[in-house]
Amino acid sequence: MLLFRSSPSPPLFLSSPPSGATHRHLLLLPSHGCTNPNSMAITITRGRGTVRCMANQRRVKMVAKQIMRELSEMLLRDKNLQYAVLPEASLGADRYLSSLTTISDVEVSGDLQVVKVYVSVFGDERGREVAIAGLKSKAKYVRSELGRRMKLRLTPEIRFIEDESLERGSRVIAILDRLKNERESVARHDAELSEPSNKSENGDLGNDDPDEGIIYVK
Amino acid sequence: MTKAIPRIGSRRNGRIGSRKNGRRIPKGVIHVQASFNNTIVTVTDVRGRVVSWASAGTSGFKGTRRGTPYAAQAAAVNAIRTVVDQGMQRAEVMIKGPGLGRDAALRAIRRSGILLSLVRDVTPMPHNGCRPPKKRRV
Repeated sequence: MLLFRSSPSPPLFLSSPPSGATHRHLLLLPSHGCTNPNSMAITITRGRGTVRCMANQRRVKMVAKQIMRELSEMLLRDKNLQYAVLPEASLGADRYLSSLTTISDVEVSGDLQVVKVYVSVFGDERGREVAIAGLKSKAKYVRSELGRRMKLRLTPEIRFIEDESLERGSRVIAILDRLKNERESVARHDAELSEPSNKSENGDLGNDDPDEGIIYVK
Repeated sequence: MTKAIPRIGSRRNGRIGSRKNGRRIPKGVIHVQASFNNTIVTVTDVRGRVVSWASAGTSGFKGTRRGTPYAAQAAAVNAIRTVVDQGMQRAEVMIKGPGLGRDAALRAIRRSGILLSLVRDVTPMPHNGCRPPKKRRV
């Protein structure tokens, strides 16, 4: 019976009980309240099957948040990443951006081995393609940088996924605003019709944004 | 601390300066400071004198919800509202910091009908100056 254990380790819970084992040890170790820099992916091999232990849920969230901070910092400061995402920055464009890349969400798997990074790009279609392609080509570099910056036992594999949710949300809000304006103008029109006399000019009624001002991002 | 601008000049009108709501600025600058926990949107004129500002905290969000992109776009809408009435048509946007507010506030500004002339990133970058705070252990 082989047992790999990291010291000092937080509480582990076995995901599935091994079958046919006569001696079973429950690894219940006291928690320290704070988390351990080492990764929690631990494999216990018994007579027949292997059992994979998952990390604490709270720790997974903390690691995800830390990865998000590190990656955003890298996007801001690291020259190689910036040139991959925005090629004209290498020409010395002096920070006049054509597209803006933001990391909107990070999801970490339960055993801290796979990290899905959701990236949102603001800009036109071509800028978006360039940014996502550049990030995907730098995935290995990002992984090594992350391993250097964060103290994890096993650096996870990083996958970049384009995130459309911010854009969709923006479109929905634009439609809701337009509906609200239409309803207000209809209500105002009715109010005007019902009082034909004594209309004074109100300065701040003229804030109807025409539709041509709103650009819908497809 | 107001910005000191040297004045050449005639004291004919007595108090030359910004009266409340008296300025008509056709072109301005919008600063968006997006940290992980909050987003602050400040509207200034071209020289940098502040016209109005709003943040996710002042837009009715508290705690962890201030860091969300929806709060950032609400802050942007609140900050721009007073200025759009005054007739600002074009704006430059200066973005500072990481955080979700960057994207969301930009989209909200674009939706509001103001023409974006430039988008710049002005995150402060030391040429290896002060020592950064210690690493968070996770």
